[in-house]
Amino acid sequence: MHEYSVVTELISALLPKLEDHDGRVSAVILVKGELRILSDEALRNAFELLSRETRLEGSELVIEPVEVRVRCRSCGYAGLAEHVREEAFHFAIPILSCPACGAEVDVEAGRELYVDRVTIQTAAAAEAS
Amino acid sequence: MHDVRMSGEDVLKRQLELADANYHRLKARGVRAISVLGAIGSGKTTLIERLIDRLSACGRTVGTIAADSAGDDDHRRFVARGARSVNLNTQDDCHLDAHMVDHAMDRLPLDELDYLFVENVGNLICPADFPLGVDREIVVISVTEGDDMVRKHPKIFAQTDVMVVNKVDLADAVGVDPQRIVSDYREVNPHGAVALTDARHERGIEDVIRALGIECTSTPSSPS
Repeated sequence: MHEYSVVTELISALLPKLEDHDGRVSAVILVKGELRILSDEALRNAFELLSRETRLEGSELVIEPVEVRVRCRSCGYAGLAEHVREEAFHFAIPILSCPACGAEVDVEAGRELYVDRVTIQTAAAAEAS
Repeated sequence: MHDVRMSGEDVLKRQLELADANYHRLKARGVRAISVLGAIGSGKTTLIERLIDRLSACGRTVGTIAADSAGDDDHRRFVARGARSVNLNTQDDCHLDAHMVDHAMDRLPLDELDYLFVENVGNLICPADFPLGVDREIVVISVTEGDDMVRKHPKIFAQTDVMVVNKVDLADAVGVDPQRIVSDYREVNPHGAVALTDARHERGIEDVIRALGIECTSTPSSPS
C-alpha cells in the first residue's frame, strides 16, 4: 500500500525535470534495490493511476532491479551478497552477512530507488517510426 | 525516441534527508532513539511499557511517540508509566515517516530525554521503506501470530537489529515452538540480536535491554 506514497513522490519530483524536454514520455525507468520492500505490480498500478492527467499518462513504468552488494568489515570481501533460497520463502532472500567469512557487512548496493532515465518520443521520431 | 538521463536522486530523497536531520537532532541532544515495529497485537505497547518501567528505575528519562491510525490509547498508557509522550495519528497512512517524527519531536522535551521509543503503526511491510532517523530498530512478533511469521516477512527480519519474540508463555497453548521462529530469523539475519519475552508478566525484558546495548539492571519491583 505504501507504493502509492512512493509513486506520488516520484511523479511530483519528475514532472518539473521534464519541462525542458518536448515530446511524449513513453517510459520511466526506475532502478530498485533488492532490499526495498516494494511490490513491482503495486508500483506499476500506482503509477498508471497517479500519472493520469499528467504528462506521464500512458507511459510505462519499467523497473530495473539491483542486486545486493556488501563489503565485509572483517576480511574485506566486496561483492554480491548470498541468498537464502529455501522453498519456504518462495523467493531468494539476500543475507546481510559476509559470504566469505560470516562477519558483519556494510551494504554497498541494494537500497536504491531512483529514476535513472526517461524515454521520450519526439514528434519527428514518432512520424518516422 | 531518446532517453533523458535523470539525476539519480532517490525517490524518497526528501524522506532520507529528514531522517538524517532527525538522527543528528537526536544525537546532538544525547537521545538514543529506538523504533518498534510489529504486527497489530504483537505486544509492542506492552513491551515499551515494561522498558519505560525498567529504564525509569535506572534513573533514565524515557520519551515515546505513539503512532496509530487513530485514537490515543497507547499514548495514555505510556503517560501512565511516566513517559514524556506524544500521540501521533497517521489517519489513512499505513506507516510513519520522518516528517511526522520530526513534528512529534517538536512537542517533546528532547534535552531531558535519555531514550526515545517510536512505536510504529501495526504493520510489518510498509514501515520498512521509511527511515525515521533512529539508532536501532526492534521488530516484535508474538507466538500467537504463528511460527511462520519470519518466513512470511523475511526481508523485514533480514534488516532489523533486534527481534523480540513475545507472549512465549502462550507458546504451548497455540502449539508454536519459539525456537523455530529464532532459527528462521538466524537464517535470514545471522547478526541480529534475539530476545524471548512474556512482556505482560515482565519476563525477558532484561534480555531486550541487553540486546539494545543498554546498561540497566534495576527492576521496578525490586528497586536498587
